[in-house]
Amino acid sequence: MAHLTETETKKEYLKVFFGLMALTVLTVVAAVLHFPESWGKAGDTLHIGIGILIAIVKVLMVIYIFMHLKFDHPYLRFMVIVPVFLFFVLTFALNVLGP
Amino acid sequence: MSGLVLDHEPVSGIPHGKLAMWVFLASEIMFFTGFFASFIVLRNANIDLFTNSAQALNKWLALLNTIVLIGSSLTMALSVLAIEKGNKRNFQLYMTITILCAFTFLIVKYFEYTSKFSHHIYPWTDLFYSYYFLTTGFHGMHVIGGIIPMVWMLMRSFTKKGYHNHVRVEVLGLYWHFVDLVWIFLFPVLYLMFPTSYVPPIH
Repeated sequence: MAHLTETETKKEYLKVFFGLMALTVLTVVAAVLHFPESWGKAGDTLHIGIGILIAIVKVLMVIYIFMHLKFDHPYLRFMVIVPVFLFFVLTFALNVLGP
Repeated sequence: MSGLVLDHEPVSGIPHGKLAMWVFLASEIMFFTGFFASFIVLRNANIDLFTNSAQALNKWLALLNTIVLIGSSLTMALSVLAIEKGNKRNFQLYMTITILCAFTFLIVKYFEYTSKFSHHIYPWTDLFYSYYFLTTGFHGMHVIGGIIPMVWMLMRSFTKKGYHNHVRVEVLGLYWHFVDLVWIFLFPVLYLMFPTSYVPPIH
């Protein structure tokens, strides 16, 4: 993080840390809450889909800030974003189309 | 030097170790993708079995481990920052916390495994537990694989010469964040997110 000072970087890290914690709590809440039974399969799909979406947001936060990808060379960004994107598509599609 | 002339600049400015680690991590993503994809496909085909078996998992221990790993990711990022700024004390402090978090994770995992064994649940019990032990087992091995170089770097930093290779610490940091990422996905997929409208049949 060349353009940020040490304290600014630390602040950024702490923000990501608390964001990750909040999203972890949100995951647990989303797992406990159920959609109405009358929704049937659509409710299941939403239930699982929301869990995966929260995980995807968390993963992007870690990759971009903790792993510095936001500030890295565009080549590197391309190389990482492609498999990560494919992974997201795969897990999301399988989960949402599955049950 | 030879008189070789290159038309375009081949140097990207990325340290070799860092580039190599990212290539390794890209392959690691695909390694775990295989497990995740087959897990989800098999779960969708055996929804009764997977939903029933997952009930027995201890979600609170998994939540604790999630918090521990996210915390260790923060301290790892801070230790990379510290060694880049040449702050030896902070590097040692944050690296020690990261190692302690990694051991905490493994100890919690140990209790999770032994409680499963005491209930006569083994990798060959059913399809779900086969995946549970496979994915968490591989993840645990990655944690152990991270602890070894972390301890080595920390011990080196206490020697007279000290440890100043900040690129290596950064590369190890990338690996450690990846281990955290795998867990971030394992936690909801393995422990939490199962169809809720589904009512298990009474046997």
